[in-house]
Amino acid sequence: MTAIFAIVKRLLASNKISFIITALAVFCATSSGETVLSNGNYTWLLATLTPFFFVFYDFSKLMHLGASKKDYFIGCLISYGILALCISLVNTGIHLWIDPAYSAQTVVNMMDVCKWTENGMLVAGFQQMFFLLLVMVFLHMLLSMQAHWYGWLADAVLVAIICVFTPIAPLRAILTGFFQIIMLNSNAALHIGICLLLSAALSIGGIAVLKKKTL
Amino acid sequence: MIELKQVTKQYGQATVLKNITLSIDEPGIYCLLGRNGAGKTTLLKSIAGYQNITSGTIQVDGKKITTSALDPGVSYIENFAKHFNLPVRKLLKIASEVNPNYDYDFASEMMERFELEEKKKFNHLSLGMKTMVSTIICLASNKKVILLDEPVLGFDAIMRVEFYNMLTESFQKHPRIIIVSTHIIEEIAKTIQKLMIIDKGSVRFFGTLHSVETKAFSISGLQKDVEAATRNLNVIGQDAAGGLVTRYIFDNPPKQTASLEIHPLTLQDFFVQMVGHKGGTTK
Repeated sequence: MTAIFAIVKRLLASNKISFIITALAVFCATSSGETVLSNGNYTWLLATLTPFFFVFYDFSKLMHLGASKKDYFIGCLISYGILALCISLVNTGIHLWIDPAYSAQTVVNMMDVCKWTENGMLVAGFQQMFFLLLVMVFLHMLLSMQAHWYGWLADAVLVAIICVFTPIAPLRAILTGFFQIIMLNSNAALHIGICLLLSAALSIGGIAVLKKKTL
Repeated sequence: MIELKQVTKQYGQATVLKNITLSIDEPGIYCLLGRNGAGKTTLLKSIAGYQNITSGTIQVDGKKITTSALDPGVSYIENFAKHFNLPVRKLLKIASEVNPNYDYDFASEMMERFELEEKKKFNHLSLGMKTMVSTIICLASNKKVILLDEPVLGFDAIMRVEFYNMLTESFQKHPRIIIVSTHIIEEIAKTIQKLMIIDKGSVRFFGTLHSVETKAFSISGLQKDVEAATRNLNVIGQDAAGGLVTRYIFDNPPKQTASLEIHPLTLQDFFVQMVGHKGGTTK
């Protein structure tokens, strides 16, 4: 366990650029008009940037330091969990205490858009956390595959699904249904369950990809 | 402990390793020699599980090695390995944290002996110093198999001597299989127990240094005398100048006669003869 926690520490420490970019976006982003975007939404940027660093920057360096692939992967999952929790805490905090400051304007926070706040802020925070965990695990697997042909195939399939499913009404309904389950879901138990299930499935896929990974 | 069976590795149409079968059973310091592009790095990376082979099997301690091995128990370092841009001391400390069997005291001692500036960040080190840090990390890992790919690249003469001493000390402290690939042949001879020569993807020689010392000879003289003396011997190369011929053998030497000059081969000459081709043509 010591090795895994050392890896977690290193992964988080070498993720400074993601933290800085996210912090800049959260603090500096402004929007005007009657409806404004909550600055808390930009905390999600951290969830999308982090897997890039874990996959493309940290992996080879940790391997050269003598870490095992197994410890690296467990370390990544723990780090994603920690980051998902932190992002969720910050965005929930911003939604609770900073968003109300824009009293004359309508503030759009993704927690409202996704209908999570219907279950109260605590549950909404958890829903957000597990959704972000899913996003990070998905990105980790997708990015890990990019060195192989099946990574490019996965990219092409994803683009094809979006391009084909969006204009055709019945297919669009399937796509909408999928996003309603994994994201725009007010049923907390179902939402968290689906996110955890998909995260677990993608993690297994991630291990399979990691096993093929060369240095 | 390391067993390769009919290992072949292809990159597209190019076959880099050709049907290699090899068994390394005993702990020791092994030297891997080969020309540029001979397949040394591919062989070492395959043993480390950094890449997959096209056919055959590699086993370390009975465990099959592929990229799927999540913890192969092999430590491999290449000369241009990239590390986190952190101070040297911190880098060694992190290595000790992520690697349960790491010998931090050995790493610290080596850092001091090689006068590595502990506060200097990795990217600010010279090539030689970077390689030294990588080598220390690899040796201190205490894994069952240590693979060092051209570790002396960028080292000055003093650093090389210190490196060979470090290698010996590390082995004496923790006997295991250490394979070192290098081009500086004569220098490492005092340190190693066994020699492996690889050429064009095939193992040309795998044996002890003692066997080279007792069996590798050059025999010079008139062509007919040399041919007669080496008729039933294992001739590994030949040079001719005018009427004089020199044959290189790896066998028991013939009896010394007045018409023959017999000299033992240096390790470098033996390597050159085993690899056996100049300017891309086979002799």
